[in-house]
Amino acid sequence: MVPPTPLSAPGGPASPPAIAMDGLGKKFRLTHDRNWTLKATLLAGHRTRYEEFWALRDVSFDIPHGSTFGIIGGNGSGKSTMLKVLAGILRADEGTAVANGRLSALLELGAGFHPELTGRENIYLNGAILGFTARDIRKRFDDIVSFAELDQFIDEPVRNYSSGMYVRLGFSVAIHVEPEILLVDEVLAVGDLAFQKRCLERFDRLRDEGRTIVVVSHDLDMVGWLCERTAWINRGGLAAIGPSGEVIEAFVEGGEEAGDPVSGAGLLSLGGLGPDDLVRSVDLLDANGQALPSATSGGPVTFRVRYDAARAGETVIVALGLYRADGTHVTSINSGASSAAASSDGPVEVDYHLSALPVQPGTYELSVALHDSTMKKVFERHTHLVRFSVEPGDGDHQTGLVALGGTWQARAGGT
Amino acid sequence: MVALLHPDLLINLTLRDLRSQYKRSALGWTWSVLNPLVAVVVYSAVFSLFLRIRPTVGDPSGLDSYAVFLLVTLLPWQFFVTSLTGATRAITSNSSLVTKIYFPRWVLPTSAVLARFITVLVEMAVLLVVVALWEGHIAFQWIPVVLALMVLQLLFTVGLALMISAANVYFRDIQHFLNVAMQPWMFLTPILYPLNLVPSDRQLFGISYRTIYQLNPMVSWAKAYRNVLYDLRFPSAERWLGIVVATVVVLALGFRVFNRLEPRMAEEV
Repeated sequence: MVPPTPLSAPGGPASPPAIAMDGLGKKFRLTHDRNWTLKATLLAGHRTRYEEFWALRDVSFDIPHGSTFGIIGGNGSGKSTMLKVLAGILRADEGTAVANGRLSALLELGAGFHPELTGRENIYLNGAILGFTARDIRKRFDDIVSFAELDQFIDEPVRNYSSGMYVRLGFSVAIHVEPEILLVDEVLAVGDLAFQKRCLERFDRLRDEGRTIVVVSHDLDMVGWLCERTAWINRGGLAAIGPSGEVIEAFVEGGEEAGDPVSGAGLLSLGGLGPDDLVRSVDLLDANGQALPSATSGGPVTFRVRYDAARAGETVIVALGLYRADGTHVTSINSGASSAAASSDGPVEVDYHLSALPVQPGTYELSVALHDSTMKKVFERHTHLVRFSVEPGDGDHQTGLVALGGTWQARAGGT
Repeated sequence: MVALLHPDLLINLTLRDLRSQYKRSALGWTWSVLNPLVAVVVYSAVFSLFLRIRPTVGDPSGLDSYAVFLLVTLLPWQFFVTSLTGATRAITSNSSLVTKIYFPRWVLPTSAVLARFITVLVEMAVLLVVVALWEGHIAFQWIPVVLALMVLQLLFTVGLALMISAANVYFRDIQHFLNVAMQPWMFLTPILYPLNLVPSDRQLFGISYRTIYQLNPMVSWAKAYRNVLYDLRFPSAERWLGIVVATVVVLALGFRVFNRLEPRMAEEV
């Protein structure tokens, strides 16, 4: 670990960047049969056969000191690999990645916790793993506990903690390490709203103190809001870099060309689904259960979300968010208790049926999130997962946001 | 230099191992006493009573007790075995840590060994007191020498643990191999019997059995522990040389192997 150094002044043009990447490349070995036994290796006479796969190749850019920097890209684009290389967890195979300053990575909250130890013991343990001395922790101990709101439970073994308490403690320890460079991977959406708000406030404070924050996220809204500059990583290479608004726009548009559909229904996937995601597919269906390439304003439509219930392991609430292409939030709905019965060992299909789709023609995007039954924990959140168009229906022409679906009636006379 | 050793991290991980070891067990730390106690009863019955192995008489202590003869080598040996078996999985069982946080990985096997070292320190202290009260065999003035032997054994064990734990990330056979290897290794070390039972007059390729036997570095430690704690005698220069050379070579090799295997650990673990 990098020994604590005094925080350098926010960088002028002369000071070295917080992070400098030069021709960075990282390859993985894909072994087809993972038969890593001594016998297999000896019999094969050489290393097990594998294919090489470059998760990152020839990436060069700098992240200036004191900036908030976003990294976006579809699943499997290499952005998390980049973060792990920067954090020192993975070793680059090509080029260099240099961090100037004490660096801390928030890749998974509470990764170092031992379930049998108490919250107090785990704070010291986790702090030591993150590079703190016992004295450093003792000074910040009360702050860590109160930030995590665990004063009552701090001497309980963490195996008795709820998942919310667990990640709150993990976040609190990591945030109090006060690194000069903080790497964050999709861990902002923890805890309830009040806690999320305090996390973001903490980020603001770190930024004001001149620290560098690098955020990897699928949540484009948050990246756009939090980060001044953003890099878009696509297929292991740098696709775009610049002010966040422009890069996110390019990413959303570029997604139309590069994106592959989630299903054969002609839906456009923006973020894409990886093999590890619980959500398996999202479809639009007509009244007969046939997949639709697009919906019709005022017409019947069913949104069908398939997810892997076996791996979720508990009751899942499906939430859908409907957005217009310009980002306007149209509505969010969740399945609530009605899908609670649908827990099973295999894939589960959750349908949301509308007899008349009440939106105006245009291009829309659908976000999908899976929550636990208390709505406190988010298993997965896929923002702007699919894009689809809504075609004009048979009715009269109207403008605005919603299709009211009313009927006109004209009568002669009247009273 | 001290910072390079990451003392806070080592201490915390060692404490984690010690604290979690007997959590949620009714007898808790009593188990760490019961284990050598049962071993000494069983081994004494089999080797002393049934097979009638005579311990050497302590020179100059004059002590003649199979239980003490056995325990002064058995406790360090059990430290060695539990350290290695624990350290083998030190990296693979902490995969969530290794893939999510960067910290020097060598502290994982090292702290696993350190946790057992704390345990054996307590066990040895209890042994000295019990033997003093029971047999009137006072070995307290030899404590600095015992500590030196134990620290050297700690370093030797850390070196081996580094090699094994790193190799186990790539070849999971190592942990099974280790289980198979430890039993014969124990019987090829003078723990249950005195060294003089190993024939020095019979030869293999012109080298006596006892010379080949002494290539096992654990022979030097067993003999030295017995010299100090049973015979009450300073171990010979030859023993010390064997111990120090084995420690330096294995520790240096351990770090070398570990550093070679470390870069891709997070991918393979």
